[in-house]
Amino acid sequence: MTFLSKAAGIAAVSLALVGAPALAEGFPDRPMEFVAGYGPGGGHDTMLRTMARLMEQENIVDVPINVVNKEGGSSAVAMGYLNARKESPYYLMSITSSHIATPLTSNIGLNYADFTPIARIGIDPELLVVNTAKGYESLADLKAEGRMLNVGGTATGSIEHIVTMQLAEKTGMELNFIPFQGDGEVVTALLSNQIDFAITNPGPVSDYLSSDKFKALAISTEERIDSLPDVPTFSEQGADIKISLFRGLTAAPGISDEERDALIAMVTKLFETEAWQKEYIEPNAVVPLVVTGQEFTDYLAETEAVYRETLGDLGMLGN
Amino acid sequence: MDALSNLMMGFGEILTPFNIAIIFAAGLIGTVVGALPGLGPSAGIALMLPLTFGMPEASGLCLLTGVYMGTMYGGRITSILINAPGDAPAIITALEGYPMMQQGRGAMALGISAFSSFIGGLFGLLVLIFAAPIIASYAIYLGPPEYFLLMATGLGTVMLLAGDQIAKAFLVTCLGVLVSTFGSDYVSGQIRFAFVPELIEGIDFVAIIIGLYGLGEVFYNLEKRVKLNLGKPGFRMKEFIPGKAELSEAAAPTLRGSLLGTLIGIVPGAGATVATFLDYALEKRLSKKPETFGTGNIAGLAGPEATNNAAVPGSLIPLITLGIPGSGGTAIMLGALIMFGMRPGPLLMTTSGDIVWAMIAGLVLANVFLLASNVLLIPVFVNLLRAVQGNLANVVIALCVVGAFSLAYSPFNIWIMLIFGVVGYLFKKNDYPTGPFILAVVLAPLAENYFRQSIMLGQGSAGIFLDRPISLTILIVMALIVVLSVVSQIRKSRKMRLAAAEGE
Repeated sequence: MTFLSKAAGIAAVSLALVGAPALAEGFPDRPMEFVAGYGPGGGHDTMLRTMARLMEQENIVDVPINVVNKEGGSSAVAMGYLNARKESPYYLMSITSSHIATPLTSNIGLNYADFTPIARIGIDPELLVVNTAKGYESLADLKAEGRMLNVGGTATGSIEHIVTMQLAEKTGMELNFIPFQGDGEVVTALLSNQIDFAITNPGPVSDYLSSDKFKALAISTEERIDSLPDVPTFSEQGADIKISLFRGLTAAPGISDEERDALIAMVTKLFETEAWQKEYIEPNAVVPLVVTGQEFTDYLAETEAVYRETLGDLGMLGN
Repeated sequence: MDALSNLMMGFGEILTPFNIAIIFAAGLIGTVVGALPGLGPSAGIALMLPLTFGMPEASGLCLLTGVYMGTMYGGRITSILINAPGDAPAIITALEGYPMMQQGRGAMALGISAFSSFIGGLFGLLVLIFAAPIIASYAIYLGPPEYFLLMATGLGTVMLLAGDQIAKAFLVTCLGVLVSTFGSDYVSGQIRFAFVPELIEGIDFVAIIIGLYGLGEVFYNLEKRVKLNLGKPGFRMKEFIPGKAELSEAAAPTLRGSLLGTLIGIVPGAGATVATFLDYALEKRLSKKPETFGTGNIAGLAGPEATNNAAVPGSLIPLITLGIPGSGGTAIMLGALIMFGMRPGPLLMTTSGDIVWAMIAGLVLANVFLLASNVLLIPVFVNLLRAVQGNLANVVIALCVVGAFSLAYSPFNIWIMLIFGVVGYLFKKNDYPTGPFILAVVLAPLAENYFRQSIMLGQGSAGIFLDRPISLTILIVMALIVVLSVVSQIRKSRKMRLAAAEGE
């Protein structure tokens, strides 16, 4: 028995050693799945589908890539889905701040450290967007309404929710946050004036901004950004809010270091292409600050600390 | 006629041998995918997505919409033949189609449903072609309060599906609501009843459907040693092409179903499944012989089948005019549009109008192909079933297991399906209706979420349901229906008492 299991162990180790260099070359050797924790048409979905298309187009992978939407539970559903695929390197999940916030606000028994962080793609600012028909021009106009305003965003405990609560705290406005399932629903609600304003990333509303159906009144970056030069920051308008969403990728729990490195190599190759800059980074107003592997894990740990404090202040920490 | 000239332009684009071949193939693939239990429109479109890379945009989109339409035709085949709905919108089809099959009228059920599918699809397409932008601009004014009332109406149809077993129906409805609460709740992010991590996602209702209907039926038939009445082998047209009598019985329900399917398909967030349940309830209400529902009623088959096909073009309307997907299938289409480098949103028709019109023309063509192929293939399907009849139980079990596995490519759903197979068997053996159960599983979570969003929008006040004109109208209509049915019940019982009194 002992001999056999030892032999098996040695065989496994040598297989792993032999397999290692080949891995990066031949990886992925079977179809991959990209997992989006939010509904189609939203930030996660658009990003993963663009990634899948460009990876094919730029010959970075030669296997089919399927994008699946596992929406719900402020990304808890997708985390559960990926967690069920332990040790399989063929899954990449897009993550944003909810990947950190949801485990803090709800007791889901999983957190970022259970997975295998791969890379941060960049930073995605939050916009305060109103329907142009309402005629609001600035934060002051919203405050002048003098009633409780309905705010749309995705998911409880999301960064949109935190921005909303900070805005209420810093300006004294009465705000009522309503979680919608996916950016598509938020856009619909704003289009039909069911909410007074939305907190959202630029991606899902860019077409509406350029056709003047929506107007962005504030952005959550430190300074104005090049792609939206006319949108003032929150700080300019006296509300000191500087939280942006990070966009990143994580893989299933328990994959080997070789597999992790192969995934990092795969996505890094994509991020260096011109097509990626042109077709994802620019249209979505993402600030491309890439970090990978351990560095990304450290970043997630820091982010978690910040969230723990903010959510604690807002009385939103779960047990 | 701006729309017509655009459509002609679209036809000009797609009438090439390559595109015609693509559309034809898409219809066939969609039919097969739809027929397999577990694989529905979302899965079909997702499977085809990689094939479209590298195709011209119009061809790629025609492939996807053709598959989408095809799955709606395909879903009815397994519903009717083996009582295993291929996907959620085909559940109702099984309720009426499978009894027809058991009576040896399976080929006719396939024929009638193919025709009503065609009319439903055509009707939806006409609305899409001529009225898309106008309708979409109104559809967005429906919000969580209206969705909630729509779902509540859907849940109300439980009583119509129940027949004369109100107590049993109520019990299984509660059970369905309980099953639907498993998993994470997106309004609060809380996880409910997740005993194993897989349950964080909740229970996939397609696995429940496959178990409840497909497997449950197999267990029941094994015990009863039921033999399907397949009639004599034959390929005669009159067995499956509906005659005058069938057509006149199916015509009005088909038209009503087409209208309802298109309307509900347009509303983002409602979808084809709710539409089929509402239409079934409507037909039962309007029927002169409501007691024949559940035993192979043609109106109950034709109406919902038209509904689910009409919902396909319906759900494309908000997608191409606003960039908002109204169903699982269109959600993947949205991704496809993005991948083709188009920007779905209010500007799509202006920036990529030519491609969108080519896609619409492709759908018109696909619908015609699908009618032809589905009618001509009926003898093949029926005789295929005849060939495997001796081993039908094995074939159905295999299809169910593969279907459940393919939902998330994990064995977890096979267990779910097995459990609900046993539940389905027990239901059937003890004469509990399955319709109310599955209806509750599908609609209860939607109703719950929309209700909570409504209350939040109302800032804690339920007055929001009365403040909004559309929701108020729906409420008034609901109240009228309740009052009218109570009044008619009272009248009926009074008449019966009078008759009884006279008899004495």
